[in-house]
Amino acid sequence: MSSAARILTVAGKEIVDTLRDRRTILVTLLTAIAAGPVFLVLIFNMTANQADKARELKLPVVGTENAPALIAFLEREQVVIQSAPADYEAKIRAGDLDVALWIDPAFEADVAAGKAGTVRLVYDRSRDRARAAINSAESLLFAYSRLWGAQRLVLRGIAIEVARPLKIEDVDLATPQQSGSLILFLVAFYGLFASMMGGMAPALDATAGERERGSLEPLLATPLEPLQLALGKWIAIGAFDAAVVVLTLIGFYLTLNFAPLPAIGVPFLFGAAELARFLWILAPLIALLSSLLLYVGMRGRSLKEAQANVGVLLFLFTMLPFVQLMAQKREPPWLLWAPISAQYTLLSRALRGDAIPAMDWLQSALAPALLTVLALVAVARLLSRETILGARS
Amino acid sequence: MIEVDRLEKYFGKRREIRAVEGATFRAENGKITGLLGPNGAGKTTLLRTLATLIAPDAGSASIDGLDVVRDRYAVRRRIGVLSDARGLYARLTARENVRYYGRLHGLGGAALDARVDTLLTQFGLAALADRRAHGFSQGERMKVAIARALVHDPATILLDEPTNGLDIMSIRSLRELLRGLRQAGKCILFSTHVMQEVAALCDTVVILGHGRVIASGSGAELMSRTGHASLEDAFVSLLGSGEGLAA
Repeated sequence: MSSAARILTVAGKEIVDTLRDRRTILVTLLTAIAAGPVFLVLIFNMTANQADKARELKLPVVGTENAPALIAFLEREQVVIQSAPADYEAKIRAGDLDVALWIDPAFEADVAAGKAGTVRLVYDRSRDRARAAINSAESLLFAYSRLWGAQRLVLRGIAIEVARPLKIEDVDLATPQQSGSLILFLVAFYGLFASMMGGMAPALDATAGERERGSLEPLLATPLEPLQLALGKWIAIGAFDAAVVVLTLIGFYLTLNFAPLPAIGVPFLFGAAELARFLWILAPLIALLSSLLLYVGMRGRSLKEAQANVGVLLFLFTMLPFVQLMAQKREPPWLLWAPISAQYTLLSRALRGDAIPAMDWLQSALAPALLTVLALVAVARLLSRETILGARS
Repeated sequence: MIEVDRLEKYFGKRREIRAVEGATFRAENGKITGLLGPNGAGKTTLLRTLATLIAPDAGSASIDGLDVVRDRYAVRRRIGVLSDARGLYARLTARENVRYYGRLHGLGGAALDARVDTLLTQFGLAALADRRAHGFSQGERMKVAIARALVHDPATILLDEPTNGLDIMSIRSLRELLRGLRQAGKCILFSTHVMQEVAALCDTVVILGHGRVIASGSGAELMSRTGHASLEDAFVSLLGSGEGLAA
């Protein structure tokens, strides 16, 4: 019997075994496939709400009567003026109100005396939800201040440029796809996450599970060689992992293209081409993670022990993209050599619609490929050690 | 034929656990050889060595002239092993469990299907053949494990405590099966600490104590040598003297 046939026999058995574990399959499908799109819909709605809030600003005001011209300006700008409750500061602190405007009772008197009138914008900037309202209230007040100043200059026959020598033009270089950066992070991260979680259940069952239920010892007494056993299991885990990744990405694809998502001004780019590119980028990682899970799982004498060890491994791996997100710096060139970070970088690029040169992909695949080979050899060595049988003599 | 020559095996960091200390014996083809010994006598270690799962520290063991270390894979092709650990795949059916091992031994197609059918029928598992092993009783699981070990019709059969957890009916049918295999000229070595097994079945008994072979021969030989009328008394007196020697 050929070596390849034995490897495929092992792989086939592991795949059948995994597919029959209905509970594990269900949990994997739910976490990997359903959770992503659900999360996505939530994020979209949150972003859309924020955009709505900025558009129709409701502004509680203390002292409306103190500056009627300002209030008229705000109303012309579609702001809904409300009278502020007495405890507006406490309400802002508690998050019930986003922002409030206080107008100095001495406003008219100050302006008449040639001094600047005082208004106070009250907010809590630590609240993400309130940020859109704060920003738009702020910019409206600045706009009013500029308009008023300009009118005074014009009355005195002075060109506006005299008082405003600098003309600021905003040029935002973000393409429409780039602006949804949080969603971009989420999709890229979730692609990585799926490839890490997808292989976990079958890997644990095929390794520590095999040891725990006592089916490894008789298996090792067959003509199967340790490396063949390792390769067969690796193929099964990898195939399952790849299937989970594909399903997760299809979930994203369907959600982003067909779900009734609120329009948030981000024509998001995740079509069939991106889906294929994602898979291509993640392939080396799927190979690597399957072999690492196999190694870590095989070291566990019991499922519990292996679960704990695999948990640590996955935690470290899932943290990497967050570190990268927090770093906010331009990616250093060596990052493409580092597994996971490289894949995350390339996934982000694919989402932004950037080209991915073949050399970059090769660079990102090299370390995972080498590590995969190392891990598989290590698994084979582990399987040929006598201690794999357990301590009984 | 199994030949074990001055086999030694130690465990522990400083090799302080002496599992087998210079065991020598042989098991012939067409005979059932029983490896009898108290718990911790080294039975499982010996069987694992013969199954090529562990390598001896000194001495040698061979099966049909093939060394268990050097010719490991050739040995594995001709042995059927019921090891100490004998777990089944709970989500596979009895048939699939046995088939898997058949395929690993290079069998396939109609020949394998026929072989699996024959074995399952022989073990009275035909009704359970396509049920998942998950709900099997201990006896049913044991039978599937033995069927799995025999799927490639091995010339040498190693069984580690095969009657553990079996009810009397299953034990009787297992005995029938082993006698049938003896008839077919197989070399059968099984370990046990149950005296009745040895008396009922074995052509040769190898008594193991503290990792050494204390005595070997047919049941009648052992009884006449010790002057006891029962195998149990012979066993106890042999072990007693064995412990005396070890001390």
